[in-house]
Amino acid sequence: MLKRDLLLMANRNLWRRRARTILTCLGVLIGTTSIVVMLSLGIGLKQGMEQTMAQWGSLEIVRIHAGMQFDREGNPIGEEQRLNDGTVAEIKAIPGVVAVSPIYNVHSEATLGRKRGHISLVGMDIKAMAELEFTLAHGRLPKPEERFTVVAGYQVINNFMDERAMRGGMPFNPAAQDPTELLDRRIRLTMHNQADHEKKQTFNVYVVGILDEQNMERAWEVYGSIADIKRMRDFMLEGTEQQGNMLLPSPFPAARAMAVRPSASAGRGGRDDRRDDYDSILLRTNDLADTKRISAALREQGFNAWSIADDLEGIEHTSRIIQAILGGIGSITLFVAALGITNTMIMSIYERTREIGIIKVIGASFGDVRALFLTEASLIGLFGGMLGLGLSYGISAIVDRIGSSYMLQGMLMGSGEAVYISVIPPWLALFAVGFAVLIGLGSGLYPANRAIRLSPIVAMRNE
Amino acid sequence: MKPILQAADVLKKYRLGSQVVSVLNGITLGVFPGEIVAILGTSGCGKTTFLNIAAGLERPTGGDIVINGHNLNKISEQNMAAFRRRYIGFVFQLYNLIPSLTALENATLPLVFEGIPPAQREKRGRVLLQKMGLGDRLGHKPNELSGGQRQRVSLARAMINNPRIIFADEPTGNLDSRTTEEILRLLISSVREMKQTLLLVTHDLDVAAYGDRIVEMVDGSIVRERTVSVPLK
Repeated sequence: MLKRDLLLMANRNLWRRRARTILTCLGVLIGTTSIVVMLSLGIGLKQGMEQTMAQWGSLEIVRIHAGMQFDREGNPIGEEQRLNDGTVAEIKAIPGVVAVSPIYNVHSEATLGRKRGHISLVGMDIKAMAELEFTLAHGRLPKPEERFTVVAGYQVINNFMDERAMRGGMPFNPAAQDPTELLDRRIRLTMHNQADHEKKQTFNVYVVGILDEQNMERAWEVYGSIADIKRMRDFMLEGTEQQGNMLLPSPFPAARAMAVRPSASAGRGGRDDRRDDYDSILLRTNDLADTKRISAALREQGFNAWSIADDLEGIEHTSRIIQAILGGIGSITLFVAALGITNTMIMSIYERTREIGIIKVIGASFGDVRALFLTEASLIGLFGGMLGLGLSYGISAIVDRIGSSYMLQGMLMGSGEAVYISVIPPWLALFAVGFAVLIGLGSGLYPANRAIRLSPIVAMRNE
Repeated sequence: MKPILQAADVLKKYRLGSQVVSVLNGITLGVFPGEIVAILGTSGCGKTTFLNIAAGLERPTGGDIVINGHNLNKISEQNMAAFRRRYIGFVFQLYNLIPSLTALENATLPLVFEGIPPAQREKRGRVLLQKMGLGDRLGHKPNELSGGQRQRVSLARAMINNPRIIFADEPTGNLDSRTTEEILRLLISSVREMKQTLLLVTHDLDVAAYGDRIVEMVDGSIVRERTVSVPLK
């Protein structure tokens, strides 16, 4: 039997009992819709959370801090790993790593015209900046051949305060300042040697770009070339016994880094061969999955690696549970619809007993009869599934329209990105229709086998 | 000449509660290619059961049916459909057309299960129905056709595969005498033209007289066989 004939015949048989077929399809429609809408809510919730987290920092960035990694009981995990050029090369070689940069951190007093403040400087591989998702709101990135050019996060300007205003006893003014004020300006940095506090040196950095607001993690830092920052650092550490890493990186991951900092690490290894170790290493991966995998693998090796994506884990776990519950509720409806399909097909066999007998006598094989009934059942699933998907898109659009204006607006700050409460990704659409067809097919198995077992003689005797 | 259909000591017993009812008590019959054999008997003599067994629709309790060298007992239920499609055509008393299909679709239904493309099916069906005198009734559903017309569609369906044997079970049982004659003439002339074999079951001597040979059955046994010297044409 040709597939085309099979489909046409099955379709025709279905529409001989229009009302019953429509009602059965309706059951599948409701079942599919409830699954899709429920799952879409779960997916929307997860996406909303991811969007929010992505604002705190990129989900594709992993930071490796100097020092060891400890588990909850305080036992070290793996061996202590040093962060030097060898490590950078090793990390670069990990499949899935797109870009790597070593990092030095220094803090300094800073002067910007009449304003004074403290800033946090990060030295890194300038060439890797673009790949590490440094995106600009204004200006440009530093060029490798330039010296002492930097880009500043969009909050850096708020580190500065007007000297006169401070002297005048005016209270701290928290009003946000315009980040572009820094653009094309020189910041004068005054650094003190750590061994001898009287020893000072002034460095000037020139701001060529301002980072955009995508990434809250980078908002308060100034980024320059690693060679320049190392010069400042070398000056500060000159004559000290202190090992590297004397300054902590940005406030955000700092708490973690501090918590796991080995206190007696200075005792190990020579002073000089450790002093030039990097404070941290920044790397970027292709996607979220790679981030989690690489971050976990690095921790396994004893690296103090951390990514915002790691924190997503818990959120994802929660949203998976929510999705499972929602999907489960939806599945019950579809299961009831499946019983409806089985019932419809059994009824149909009763009605068509004679006809089944006839087609068996004139040469329909077991396979033909089974295929015919399975196709009819699957078609019910297909029609119901597709209509249900259409309805789901409609409901999803309505939910987003009504809901997004109330519920999630507070969650995202300053971002133009829309937040959807209900999201139907293509895979869900395909899955929904496929699942409905499968349910139809499954529901048709029992009736189809019944049809096969009918003896043609008995069937034809049936009036 | 070897018979195209050979029944050897065919038994059929049914269990009715605690009683065993014997329907066929050892039927032995050979039907030769091109022959038209009428099985004559009263209602309940077992002639339809024999026909069903000979066509592979029912399994005998004992004995063998060999069609064209194939022993039906050795063909599985699964393969029986294909076997029937290839060798056997069926005509029933109650036509057994599918109500939702047109005359053309009904006539060509066996070709659907054969996997023959629609264009080819339609062509064959058209020619055959034309021959049956239904050229202008191709698109009609069974309930729009008279009894005689329905049986013509059913004849066309039985012959569309060009089977070796045609089994006809009281093909005129529901028709008036004029239509009966028309249908029988049509059936027999087609069978002769296509060099097919016909096994015709009837309770009516006038109908049986169309056969080359009449086999009379009483209570599950063959009681008499006679050759019709000048069969009705």
